[in-house]
Amino acid sequence: MRYALNKIFHGLLLVLGVTLISFILMVWFGPDQTYSLVGKNATAEQIAEVRHELGYDRSFALRYAGYLKQLFTLDLGSSHSSGEPVNSILARTIPVTLALMVPGFVLGNLLGIALGLLSVQQKGRWTDRLITGFSVSSMSISFLVIIILMQVILSTPYGLNLFPVRGWQVNDPGSYLKYVAVPTLSLIFITLGYNTRFYRAVFAEEAGRDHIRTARAYGASTATILWKHVLKNSLVPIITRFMFSIPLIVVSGSLLIESYFGIPGIGKVTFDAITSGDQPVLKAVVGLTAIAFVLIQVLTDFLYKLVDPRIG
Amino acid sequence: MNKPVLSVRQLSVTHRLSGRVVNVLDQVSFDLHQGEILALVGQSGSGKTKTAESILGLLPPDRWDISAQAIELNGSDLAALPESGLRKIRGRSISMIFQEPLTALDPVFTVGNQLCSVFTRHRGQRRREAQTSAQAALGRVGFPDPGHVMRRYPHQLSGGMRQRVMIAMAMACRPSILIADEPTTALDVTTQAQVLDQLVQLGQKDGVSLLLITHDLGIVAQYCDRALVMLDGKIVEQASVEELFANPRHVYTKALLNSAAGAKPK
Ligand SMILES: Nc1ncnc2c1ncn2[C@@H]1O[C@H](COP(=O)(O)OP(=O)(O)O)[C@@H](O)[C@H]1O
Ligand SMILES: [Mg+2]
Repeated sequence: MRYALNKIFHGLLLVLGVTLISFILMVWFGPDQTYSLVGKNATAEQIAEVRHELGYDRSFALRYAGYLKQLFTLDLGSSHSSGEPVNSILARTIPVTLALMVPGFVLGNLLGIALGLLSVQQKGRWTDRLITGFSVSSMSISFLVIIILMQVILSTPYGLNLFPVRGWQVNDPGSYLKYVAVPTLSLIFITLGYNTRFYRAVFAEEAGRDHIRTARAYGASTATILWKHVLKNSLVPIITRFMFSIPLIVVSGSLLIESYFGIPGIGKVTFDAITSGDQPVLKAVVGLTAIAFVLIQVLTDFLYKLVDPRIG
Repeated sequence: MNKPVLSVRQLSVTHRLSGRVVNVLDQVSFDLHQGEILALVGQSGSGKTKTAESILGLLPPDRWDISAQAIELNGSDLAALPESGLRKIRGRSISMIFQEPLTALDPVFTVGNQLCSVFTRHRGQRRREAQTSAQAALGRVGFPDPGHVMRRYPHQLSGGMRQRVMIAMAMACRPSILIADEPTTALDVTTQAQVLDQLVQLGQKDGVSLLLITHDLGIVAQYCDRALVMLDGKIVEQASVEELFANPRHVYTKALLNSAAGAKPK
């Protein structure tokens, strides 16, 4: 109980910290919108009035409090460029991004875990060398090359021509599979080398522990050693990598994949908001990402306690 | 003298790492007789642990080369067994207890879980049955409340308690041989005596032959029947404990005895 309170208190402090930083960067030092609103030849009174409406004449603390209130009540205003409420933009695009990114992210990690385990089981033999060689060489291929190759091979008349190259006309499970396939495969191949190398290193370290020798000395099979002892002892680093990749994948990963596949997700919205300086959208994305990050941190701590009895 | 339970002949072990080859054991031969307590003494790095590990086939073949004329357990040759055959021996016919009680048990599984898996694996017991057996095994090593210990994780137990859990695990299948690799080196002096007494008593009750690895000649004098003296991967002297203390032959044994003045055979 004290632990939980402590965590919540820490979480709140973190939320305040990250939102404060995003407030300072995005709002306090952000672009001044007065002159785009008042038009030419405005009088000093008109200018003052607009500034008052925008809240520019209020103190730092009041404006920060206002920003927090907006974030927590999800009262995020409307996009400057399209006039659409930010809430409805988020509700429209976040599910698309999740549907787009989650399969590739999860499969990429699971495959990395499987290859890592196989590699450690076959340590020093040719399977291990093959997997390690594959990881290292795939890490040196640019993500661009992977995406373009995937598109050419799977989605053009030069290749198999099985899937659409771009877009997201999803209305049933069949069309979802059609549009998600190539981005998912691309994401898996972009991340697989890194995932495999990371997981192999974690598993190799765990496989060298003293208690593994004990398990072997009491007749445990290789499968038991790997799937029971090595895997469970590796859960803390696995959870860490998995959880802390989430913000990265959602923000930068989706930005990349969505722009190359022309998919209207949160990454594309963010990209457009940055290039057009669409303040309300940016404020919402940055603030909510920060809050999501803190939630992930709290959840991660909780998961650690679940898998490792020594923590807590 | 009784017939040997374990007979090791010409055991040599080399370690390979990026082209460098190190001889770790050189033509080690010895017998362990039925019911005896045999000491394996030698300074740190002399090859005691590797001797034990290579008998059980625990050294990973990607870095270690093991060759032996024979490692005979009750007449069958372990050196000729494939991995699957060795797995049936490990923890059932030959058990091992390790030097570091802190790291020898898996930190993320309960004591009960780890103990039960020995019974399910080697005795073919189901979960329920294995739990009953595990509790009985913990009771035998003197835990007053085995059910409570079963639910503990290793880090929640003291070093002495962990080592007693290891003894329970080692005795679970009434093995013919128990190899104890410096089982008390990491414990404080009072706990040392308790754990060793327990080990020796249980071993005698079950008729287990004990290979006791130690560098403490006091322990050798107090508990053991015979001793092997190891130096740089070779066995340089073997004799009954009385003979060894009365009439050491190798210079290294003499030096050992001099540095442990006061140790006297029982
Ligand atoms: N992991 C290892 N890698 C390389 N050499 C090792 C390793 N473990 C042990 N050795 C070598 O084997 C020798 C014997 O080690 P060990 O059997 O552990 O000695 P002891 O148990 O008598 O202290 C050491 O001197 C060392 O040279
Ligand atoms: Mg040792």
